Amino acid sequence: MMKVSWLQDQLPRLAEHLESSAEELNGLDAQLGDGDLGVTMVRGSRQLLEIREELPDDWGMALLKCAQAFTKTSGSSYGTILATGLMAMAKQKKGQAEMDSSEWAGLLKVALEAMQQRGKAELGQKTVLDALSAAQKKLESAPETGLLDLIEVVQQTIEEFRDKPCQIGRARIFQDKSIGLDDPGMVAFKRLLEGIVPN
Amino acid sequence: MKKLLNDPYKYVDEMLVGMCAAHPEIYRQTGEGGRVIARAGSQRPGKVGIVSGGGSGHLPVFTGYVGHGLLDACAIGDVFASPSVEQMAEAMKVAHAGAGVLRLYGNYGGDVMNFDMAGEQLEMEEDIQSTTVLLADDVSSAPPEEGEKRRGVAGMVYAFKIVGAAAEQMRSLEEVTRIAQETADSCRSVGAALTPCTIPQAGKATFEIAEDEMEMGMGIHGEPGVWRDKLKPADDIAHEMVDRLIADRAIDSGDRLSVMVNSLGATPPEELYILYRVVKKRVEDLGATIVMPLVGRYATSMEMSGVSMTFCFLNQEREALMQAPASCAFWQVK
Repeated sequence: MMKVSWLQDQLPRLAEHLESSAEELNGLDAQLGDGDLGVTMVRGSRQLLEIREELPDDWGMALLKCAQAFTKTSGSSYGTILATGLMAMAKQKKGQAEMDSSEWAGLLKVALEAMQQRGKAELGQKTVLDALSAAQKKLESAPETGLLDLIEVVQQTIEEFRDKPCQIGRARIFQDKSIGLDDPGMVAFKRLLEGIVPN
Repeated sequence: MKKLLNDPYKYVDEMLVGMCAAHPEIYRQTGEGGRVIARAGSQRPGKVGIVSGGGSGHLPVFTGYVGHGLLDACAIGDVFASPSVEQMAEAMKVAHAGAGVLRLYGNYGGDVMNFDMAGEQLEMEEDIQSTTVLLADDVSSAPPEEGEKRRGVAGMVYAFKIVGAAAEQMRSLEEVTRIAQETADSCRSVGAALTPCTIPQAGKATFEIAEDEMEMGMGIHGEPGVWRDKLKPADDIAHEMVDRLIADRAIDSGDRLSVMVNSLGATPPEELYILYRVVKKRVEDLGATIVMPLVGRYATSMEMSGVSMTFCFLNQEREALMQAPASCAFWQVK
């Protein structure tokens, strides 16, 4: 059983890892979008560090604060989409102080559905949703899957989509150019997972 | 680029400071960075809050319509860019007076995403009840069968006026939302552009158009229109715009509607009146009556020269609300 203190313990390493990935994410994004994905992630994670001590014991309210860390610092759509996922999970966990790892599959599912609805993207269009969905499916079929294996699933998804065109967002205007490039949103999701210490 | 500005990155902030300084009895700045404009004074307890939001560059839309009988608060982004979730949440908080908040704005991806998010945050955090009505009145932005993809343009002004008056009558959130949806459904707009506009931070025109050309159906951010050709005489343009509007929603004998002939920024009132005489005749020839025509600059796109035409069909309820008193720096109804 995990309490919010588990999340608080993760944040410094997570922030550090995102700081060191910022340049890579900005670069990937610059090839397809406006080149600020790394900035979005860094600003969000710095804000998470700011509020780390104030996170309430209630998982719902704690996840809401995490969502707000991204909406406060970022006007970019990735920040809003990420916050949407966190918020969907927050609603599920409102009033609960404990979280079991068996809940992850279900929580990722509601996050995925909310993100899909908000961003109007479908699976297969080469977005963060594809990576999230692969991870979610893995957890659903094998709830005991460890974090490292999950990161591997995300990596496989990145590779699987590398030679497909982006079909939504700014990149859809020049789909051909996106072939051969990793989706920045998927890579950012992978970096997020890598920032969590495996237990 | 030839504009009266200092730092392009301070364009919006300096504009807002000036607008509030010029009309302190109407507007006040609030929120982080002052990117939320609220009514001066405090909210009337129990009144439904009406909020809007969107990018700058469209004055009087959006912030200009904060005022009595209109909007309570508005979140404003950079030129043609969505405000952040936090700014939108702040606008809703400021507008909330215990009876809930209606978000009333145009159908643009970033705005919709951020405003919905802001609403969910406030519902979870502060139990503020809120609803959304989107304006999607631009008939050339998508065919009728894909009506939900249409963009919101000058029809917004009618929605702000009619819905603002309903809220002023202390109607419930449910009632105000119904009236807002019915107003949105009864608005149709079409635009035509003669020149592009320049976003200060980009420093160059949003698109290229030849000196002797015009484009029909162009969006307010320079989104492509339905055709581009040689500039036509004003009457031809007016007739085509009316044709396009009534092809989308017919005008029946006995209908009562308000008509807006709106400058996209650079077109002078003289040219709007040249168009209006054609519109008036066309509408009246169909046996309909024009109520409260609006000819002027109501929803702009920076210094774009061009015009938009909006029909807002009225029923008894909407007509009365349309005529109720309202006041902001850009529009008075007494």
